[in-house]
Amino acid sequence: MPIRITEEAFDYLIARAGLTLTDAEKAELKTVCDGIAAMAERVRKPRGRMAEPALTYGFADEDL
Amino acid sequence: MSAPIPTIAQAAKQIAAKQLSPVELTQACLERVEAFDSRLHAFIHLTEERALAEARAAEAAIMANGPSGPLHGIPIGLKDIVDTKGIPTTCQSKLLQDNVPDSDATCAEKLAAAGTVLIGKLTTHEFADGGPSFDLPWPPARNPWNTEHFTAGSSSGTGAAVASGMILCGIGTDTGGSIRGPAALCGIAGLKPTYGLVSRAGVAPAAFSLDHIGPMAWNAEDCAIMLQTLAGHDPRDPASASRPVPDYSAALGSGIKGLKIGVIHHFHETDHKVSTGTQHGITAAIATFRELGAEIREVQLSPLQDWVACGSLISIVERAAAYEEWARTRLAEFGERMRSRLMLSAFISGVDYLQAVRRRRELRAELKAAMAELDVVLTAVLPGEAPKIDAVPKWDLFQQPSFMMPFNVAGYPAMSICSGFGAGGLPVAIQVVGKPFQEATVLRIADAFEKATPFRDRRPNVT
Repeated sequence: MPIRITEEAFDYLIARAGLTLTDAEKAELKTVCDGIAAMAERVRKPRGRMAEPALTYGFADEDL
Repeated sequence: MSAPIPTIAQAAKQIAAKQLSPVELTQACLERVEAFDSRLHAFIHLTEERALAEARAAEAAIMANGPSGPLHGIPIGLKDIVDTKGIPTTCQSKLLQDNVPDSDATCAEKLAAAGTVLIGKLTTHEFADGGPSFDLPWPPARNPWNTEHFTAGSSSGTGAAVASGMILCGIGTDTGGSIRGPAALCGIAGLKPTYGLVSRAGVAPAAFSLDHIGPMAWNAEDCAIMLQTLAGHDPRDPASASRPVPDYSAALGSGIKGLKIGVIHHFHETDHKVSTGTQHGITAAIATFRELGAEIREVQLSPLQDWVACGSLISIVERAAAYEEWARTRLAEFGERMRSRLMLSAFISGVDYLQAVRRRRELRAELKAAMAELDVVLTAVLPGEAPKIDAVPKWDLFQQPSFMMPFNVAGYPAMSICSGFGAGGLPVAIQVVGKPFQEATVLRIADAFEKATPFRDRRPNVT
């Protein structure tokens, strides 16, 4: 289960992102934070340290 | 407005035979704009004078030398996130209300070089994201089948304008379904090509690694004609593929006997159950494909929600990176829906993002393996008919897992084609997904379906 976000963590993340939100926006955003956390849990699978990301860089002709 | 609306293929044939003038064709489109657009809001900016000048130039050139190709003299529209030199390109946002680019996007340049006639710039969701918004400088587009209903988005204006015959085809862009969704709800055809096949240069980014540019038109045959012009390598786009461009129309009409079609039943029957009308459309389409000689198989993939989680995390972060400067300094100037999407990025860590990108590689490998013995796979586009425009949930991202996002995650070509009409009389659709760079097969199958069914015979009666 994703961890529920605390008030302090919520305010820190918004501040770190440089966003200035109204109280109403903050209240609404808190209702969907869990949805994001659930998505983040879904992409975590046992894959070990060697699994490459999809965007691993490769030289294209234009880069040479 | 009783004159029949030709397809590109029909109009091109008549133009080549000098039975139809590009000027008359353009005037007919402009008359439909005049008659319908106060209700459909498909256009942000009309280029009427330019259109008539281009049509006259096309007519003169065709009279002198014949058409340069099937798009010569054909009226089109461009989604308003596509840069157009000297023509406002607003992204439907207050932030770019006065933006006039000094160069064309590659797709706009290619269509102009093919001799098309630009009718105008088309409504979108703000920066191609969010949903139907009523707090932007322009209203959202309305569905021509029923103007109280949503078009889907974000290529909303393109969907509405093509379906109502205000243009014969248009450019859409697709980051999580923005070509296929409006194509489905507006009852037209829309193709999201393979990632990299059509240049993104000069098109406002939504999410760099998920963004696709593609054709929207009345049918598959017209999408093939458009794609022929749009496809090809462009050094201005770092993701542009260097591959030869095949003839996308060559196999149309050759039938689909022996082709192998996989159906991802669990996506639309279990993971996110579709409406009765949509399910009926899929079931009937499978029967049609079988009658046409295709072999039908079942396909099992990871749950739809896995694909959507992967695509959504990537999409939110990449969008936030593209618009971070404005999010930090001008957040209040975005509409509510775009603002909300930008805020979500604060809760996705760098590691979350990269785990999603690692998951993406696994999911793509899974689809590749599942399609090894198949030509295409099939599923739904949307769960049902168009909802009322004021009933579209703001957080549909969490509530309605998208059937389209998996193929942005994979970068595979995917097409929406009309598969009938639901209980409310509005269009429903199926999604045909091909292997990378196998658009010709997708178009061939879509074309065969359209020709075997009566759904291309009916246009909306805009009231």
